[in-house]
Amino acid sequence: MPAVIDKEKCNACGVCVKICPTDVYYGSKPKEIPVVMYPEECWHCNACVHDCPQDAIHLRIALNMQLVYKS
Amino acid sequence: MNDARLNVEQVEADVLCIGGGPAGLCAAIRASEQGAKVVVIDKSHTLRSGDAGMGNDHFMCHIPDVQGELPGFFNKIGKMSQAVTKTFWENAYDLVKLWDSWGIPMKYEGRYEFAGHSIPGYPNFMLHFSGQNTKVKLTKQAKKAGAKIINRVMILDLIHDNGTIAGAIGFDVRNPKLLVFKTKAVILATGKCMRLFPQNTGSLFNTSTSPVNTGDGRAMAYRAGCELTDMELNDRWSGPKYFARNGRGSWTGVFRDPNGIQIDPGNEMPAHFYPELHENYQKSGRGPLYMDLSDISDEDYEYMKHFLIHEANTPILDFFKEEGVDPREHPFEFMTYGLITPGGINYNEKCETPLAGLFAAGDEFMSFYIAGAAVFGSIAGESAAAFAAQAKPLDEKRAQIPVVTAKELLESVLNRTDGATWQEANNAIQQVMADYCGLIRSETLLTAGLEHLRRLKKKVPQVLMAQNQHELMRCVEVLNLFDIGEITFVAARERKETRQYHRRTDFPFENPIIGAQTLAVKKENGQPVPKWIMKA
Repeated sequence: MPAVIDKEKCNACGVCVKICPTDVYYGSKPKEIPVVMYPEECWHCNACVHDCPQDAIHLRIALNMQLVYKS
Repeated sequence: MNDARLNVEQVEADVLCIGGGPAGLCAAIRASEQGAKVVVIDKSHTLRSGDAGMGNDHFMCHIPDVQGELPGFFNKIGKMSQAVTKTFWENAYDLVKLWDSWGIPMKYEGRYEFAGHSIPGYPNFMLHFSGQNTKVKLTKQAKKAGAKIINRVMILDLIHDNGTIAGAIGFDVRNPKLLVFKTKAVILATGKCMRLFPQNTGSLFNTSTSPVNTGDGRAMAYRAGCELTDMELNDRWSGPKYFARNGRGSWTGVFRDPNGIQIDPGNEMPAHFYPELHENYQKSGRGPLYMDLSDISDEDYEYMKHFLIHEANTPILDFFKEEGVDPREHPFEFMTYGLITPGGINYNEKCETPLAGLFAAGDEFMSFYIAGAAVFGSIAGESAAAFAAQAKPLDEKRAQIPVVTAKELLESVLNRTDGATWQEANNAIQQVMADYCGLIRSETLLTAGLEHLRRLKKKVPQVLMAQNQHELMRCVEVLNLFDIGEITFVAARERKETRQYHRRTDFPFENPIIGAQTLAVKKENGQPVPKWIMKA
């Protein structure tokens, strides 16, 4: 899934749940490590990655979104 | 069968801003400053929602001290009225100064910098600014001005009071709540309309601008009786292949074919005004075309990266980093994305719409990009506050507040356990749009496609199902897309000529008489009806 949370680093502050523009974290509970409920709705915008105070999120770029480059 | 029930809550204010992007927030700031009680609604969160959520790096404007005088034709470009264009150029610099004072860095290394996103041979009118946190700053400013922001609420429809728009009805996208907004004026600022046409990128949410901007403002305005214009004049964009993202004007390399032959004149990239270059090259069999950064200096590379970050392209830079690949050594492909809908609510220079009490700004009609959102958002705020100051309070008995209809629709979707997901319905509309109202259009295709679309459109509200408030939001987005789709078909059938991406195989020429007019579509007896109007 696109947004991957490092459970060791996450402090369950909920910033990602608060700001995600497409609400992929819908249903996450306060003070718990967020769940990515709707991964197929991730726009890969990096908002959660950028705003996470713990640097605990990275995007796994979906296979159908991998850039095509020359070796 | 589930048994979901929506509780009804009421919110009262003078001005309601639907959409918390740069337009909606600038409207809220200006209207609050005029003394109006303002509520901003966003179906995401104003800090990071929409196209500007993670930034923008180009602000169209005229700064005489830097650019000198611009040629007179600048006052006439654009798809909206000449008065709108003139108003834009007269006000854009003021907004630059205002945004700068709010902490949005409009200068680069202490100076106004015009670069990128330009047309070769003409004065550059795109101010390169560092806008990654534009929405954060505008949210802060709106709150400071006294506006109330309600996030995670989607508006379903507008409320009428004797021909005047006086509020809206919406629902919470996280909790089972129906909200009735009773206001004296409404500003639509919901942005673009994506997800109507397939973007040729493999999934519904892989779109170059925000996939949750689904023409909600256009659809609710149309349903309330407002005309929409230029809906058939679709556009296309280009950008990195498979990772749909805008910002092509921020990449400063050149395009090269597989043999390394450059196919454009250089850094000024006319290709971003010729998005079909990539598709046409691909079709010719000589492709693919690569964005080649090998010739740029280290200093220029750092400059480009700075602005790509502010143009919301960090995930693309991160991709290269994680892949262990330096894009300067590995040219990568660009592609042409699918059709989009620039047309919409053709607001005037005061941001008024044909409906009293209803104002619109920003990408409700795509023009002037983020600078247009800033300028016309502010003007909409001013106009709406002035309107609200003299408006009578909502007459509860006379007003049409569709609480029962809204509740019935939303609860039926929530309670259905056998039916269609929003994805199924979204794919269905994209399919019919692409095949019958896409890049090949003709009377026979449009007629057959419209018939099919109307059959689907009748079924959709009867079969859509949502497991929760989040999916309910996606379902309502798709219902809006069906309205926009039908309007696009009706307009495309009426425009019997070829213009831009509106390509009629049965009328393969541009008709200058048609060009002097604008095509509007309005709801009459429940159906979209086309009407030609003189260009303003």
